[in-house]
Amino acid sequence: MSGNLSRRKFLAAGATVAAGSLAAPWIARAQANEITALLITGGPLYPKYWEKIVQDFTAKTGIKVRYDLLEFTPLTSKVVTLSAARSSQYDVYSTHTAQIDSYFSHFAPLNSYFSESELADFYPVAVKYLRDPKNGNLAAIPRNMDARVQYYRSDIYQEKGLKPAETWEELVDVGLKLTGNGHYGLVVPGQGDPAQRTFSDLLWQAGGDWVDQANKPAFNSEAGIKALTFYRDLVQKHKIVPPDAVGYQWNENSTEFSSGTVYANFDWPGAFATLSNPDTSRVVGKWSSAPYVRDKAAISCAISHAMALNGQSGRKDPAVEFIKYTVGPEAQRLQFDEFTNFPSSQAIAKEVITAAKGPQAAWLQQLETTIANGKEWPKLPGFSKVCTLMFSAIEQALTDQVSPSDSLNQAAVEAEDAMRRAGAYD
Amino acid sequence: MSSVPHGRVSGRRRRSPLPYTWQKGYLLAGPAFVVMLAIFVYPLGYSFLMSFFRWDLSGSAPFIGTGNYTDELFGRQFNQALRNQIIFSVVSITVEVVAGMAIAVLVNGELRGMRLARTLLLVPPMIAPAVVGLNFRWLFNTQYGLVDALLRMFNLPSIPWLSDPTWALVSVIIADVWQNTPLMVLLFLAGLQSLPQEPLEAATVDGAGPWQRFWHIVLPLMRPVIMIALMLRIIDTFRTFDVVWLMTQGGPGGASDLLTVYAYLLAFQAVDFGHAAAVSYIALGMSLVVLGLLYGVPWLIAKRRAI
Repeated sequence: MSGNLSRRKFLAAGATVAAGSLAAPWIARAQANEITALLITGGPLYPKYWEKIVQDFTAKTGIKVRYDLLEFTPLTSKVVTLSAARSSQYDVYSTHTAQIDSYFSHFAPLNSYFSESELADFYPVAVKYLRDPKNGNLAAIPRNMDARVQYYRSDIYQEKGLKPAETWEELVDVGLKLTGNGHYGLVVPGQGDPAQRTFSDLLWQAGGDWVDQANKPAFNSEAGIKALTFYRDLVQKHKIVPPDAVGYQWNENSTEFSSGTVYANFDWPGAFATLSNPDTSRVVGKWSSAPYVRDKAAISCAISHAMALNGQSGRKDPAVEFIKYTVGPEAQRLQFDEFTNFPSSQAIAKEVITAAKGPQAAWLQQLETTIANGKEWPKLPGFSKVCTLMFSAIEQALTDQVSPSDSLNQAAVEAEDAMRRAGAYD
Repeated sequence: MSSVPHGRVSGRRRRSPLPYTWQKGYLLAGPAFVVMLAIFVYPLGYSFLMSFFRWDLSGSAPFIGTGNYTDELFGRQFNQALRNQIIFSVVSITVEVVAGMAIAVLVNGELRGMRLARTLLLVPPMIAPAVVGLNFRWLFNTQYGLVDALLRMFNLPSIPWLSDPTWALVSVIIADVWQNTPLMVLLFLAGLQSLPQEPLEAATVDGAGPWQRFWHIVLPLMRPVIMIALMLRIIDTFRTFDVVWLMTQGGPGGASDLLTVYAYLLAFQAVDFGHAAAVSYIALGMSLVVLGLLYGVPWLIAKRRAI
């Protein structure tokens, strides 16, 4: 060992080692003709789907794709972290309409990569809510549509001489007739984002909206209070929903129906495949679908899983080629065949609807109607913060801690403050 | 003859070489030092800085001084989380320490089955908090859960464990107590087994009963162990996250929100890192103040007595 190592030399050597360690991943990644992607997964079929998509893409273009798969919640957390760190680790991200407003500064605009005619093929509601309202930049491109319809136990309904509810009043009436002996007429989620989605649907159906013309909170209007009161009463007054539903998210919501405990719910397109599979459903062949209920209007949310380009990517052109492939006709057809994911391309949707038969054709038609009438909450600065305020406000009303009007009024004051601080009114 | 003064070369002060043993020490500690710097000191400093900026991924991050701190200290959601945190910490630590001591005294005896009991006590602390959270979520499910099934069996009313605001906080405290009381038992048991026997024997000879021996001899002698147990649990309760997140996500309506859960929601749902960092530093400050009081007050009392 050298006899004259000083503190200075020691610190210099340490700094060199640290700098080398930090630079190594970038050096290793700088391989030509290869891109990286952080993609969504969920269920056993997704890894095979992405494997096939990537293989086919590489065979056609010669561009290699190294990818990691994560489920929705950890994926969202990771994208948030990577965006905050301005990371170029991944060129392509799976993303979703839900939190897209947080990434407007971090995803590269896709406008110039898609022609007007290409964009016109996607459902307008999907493209609209993936754009930054301030500058019209397209932050992501829709990969498949997410909208909900009513799933109900056709065997039980037939036995009791009932029809699926079309209106709010019918929803309560039918629910009351079906509730008893450990079974419930309906299940709705009551926690977090799913609770906000449910309130949002009811708000639009009651004739309200999230913000007014000046982008000020308007969800505490008469329509909003009516919507939240109706939502609360399903749980607390009519008791047609399992009492634990105030703690349910989508998984519990779906499981209550697929296990046979509950006789109706509102669920996403993936439910069709889940409910038809004996490994994941106890009600195979005993259910059917119907349109979402309505009040003054027949509106519910229509959002989309999407693909985005990292603004920090150094390989934007090959990355966009991959994004285009994932939203192209072959990938969309495969998605529908594998998971019954509803296509984001209107042309492919028309194709699958035309080819479908029996209950699936009716279900697809119902979904398309929902998407055609669908909406999403505004993508204004600070609205992600508003969402966390709403989770709490809705849950407090659902559990009778606060009245719906007090809860919404307080949330509206806090929401305006949060949006102002985020620059929504600058 | 050189005119350069000893210890200087060309006007620069020459650093004296380190003794060989120091060099070895630096080299051995070096990797750990670099790792600590990279994964502990840097993120801590960076997040502290972040708490003074509006940091929300919007592109610009303006300096706003203590704005994030004042927003939170006067905010409804923070105050609800703070109230829950205080209830959670005080109740769970009190129950864990009292029950832990009682069980430790019990299993310290030579009754039958005590060895098995001591072994079983190792199980709850070995389970990952996430697994504990999931298990309790199912145990407390009013339709399918074991707890309500037992209540129904005895014709007792069902309890809305996770859907009622009060019961939700009680439920997460029960889960925390279940997981951490055995750790207290093990700590106290180790303490009890290392106590000197002479004072206890002398007290017995003097006619002191079991309660008197415990209160006047065992408890004062156990004070250092109790202090360590309290310190560990105070630090732990201020960073509890997994169990609460998996059982209630802080709901319903923030009724079981703790500071960590609230900070997570701010960072990853609201994408507001500035406020999330401020909440985290307030929580850290609070736990340091509590620990300071825990150790500082007895020290001051002892010092005053000595004077």
